[in-house]
Amino acid sequence: MSFIEIQCGDVLASVVFIVEGELQEIPQADAIQSHIVTCSACSAEIAHERLMHQMLQDVLKRSCDEQAPEELHQSIHSQLRAQMAGAGATEVVTQFSMTEISIEIDEFGNVEHREIQIEQTHIQHFIDDED
Amino acid sequence: MTSKDLVLESAADRTTRFERDALVFTNQLYAAALRYTKNPEDARDLVQDTYLKAFSSFHQFEEGTNLRAWLYRVLTTTFINTYRKGQRQPQIANNELEDWQVAQAQSHTSDQGKSAEQEALENLPDSDIKRALQEIPEDFRIIVYLADVEGFSYKEIAEIVGAPAGTVMSRLHRGRKQLREKLSDYARELGYSTDAPAPKSKKKGGTE
Repeated sequence: MSFIEIQCGDVLASVVFIVEGELQEIPQADAIQSHIVTCSACSAEIAHERLMHQMLQDVLKRSCDEQAPEELHQSIHSQLRAQMAGAGATEVVTQFSMTEISIEIDEFGNVEHREIQIEQTHIQHFIDDED
Repeated sequence: MTSKDLVLESAADRTTRFERDALVFTNQLYAAALRYTKNPEDARDLVQDTYLKAFSSFHQFEEGTNLRAWLYRVLTTTFINTYRKGQRQPQIANNELEDWQVAQAQSHTSDQGKSAEQEALENLPDSDIKRALQEIPEDFRIIVYLADVEGFSYKEIAEIVGAPAGTVMSRLHRGRKQLREKLSDYARELGYSTDAPAPKSKKKGGTE
């Protein structure tokens, strides 16, 4: 398995997989892993990449946390209610039910009685597309 | 089993369930929509359309599966199908799917480079972070956002955006790289030194 010679470049090109914790997705994962252990430049690079990745996620999360305006919450609520009223009127429910009864009498006169019930419910929604 | 066991959820019950389970993500979806559309009016419309679409197919949603991921899928496809139409977006070059791992010649970063990049990220204001995100190509931006802000795995993202996992990984890699380059540029403009050569002739000191 370690016949493949792994170069620093191979490790650096796989950084995104390493940082995502998905190194196993790469065919030469084992060879890359053992290269990192022995190459101090690569292990420093990976440590840096992990740190940057964490920092980038932190600043992105901090920056992108806008609150939706109150009127948006309100209008979603009222539109959903309006859609519900419409959807309720155009919902077709088909129910099907069947009972199969079989009675068997054997040679000794024993009566065996079986009932099989089949039920099916089908709901169709018709949503009006207003736009 | 009798027909009474088959739950016939009334429209009112379904609406209540949808409101209870789905509307808790309104703020998150709005922040994502702002990144997608780049303006508050479109972001508002996009979130509203997303909820209405999600609601009309909510009976198809399997309970117990990831509702948040499902909502992001509706958001993203709605954005791509509706809001992007007509917009002239610079498309990603055709060679995107070339073997990007081989294509990039990489070398180790110097120690100064590492600490400068770290310093840049520590000091940049939120407005610059958002500006950098807005400036990277849309397909990269969506994927970086879903991964790094929302914390979706690249396989979940592949489902959300409807692209192969390999494409997602490639875009994630390129998107992050471009984002970091932009942030380093801003940091340099603000006077934090990074060891890359200064791109502009005009020099800026640390103080104005």
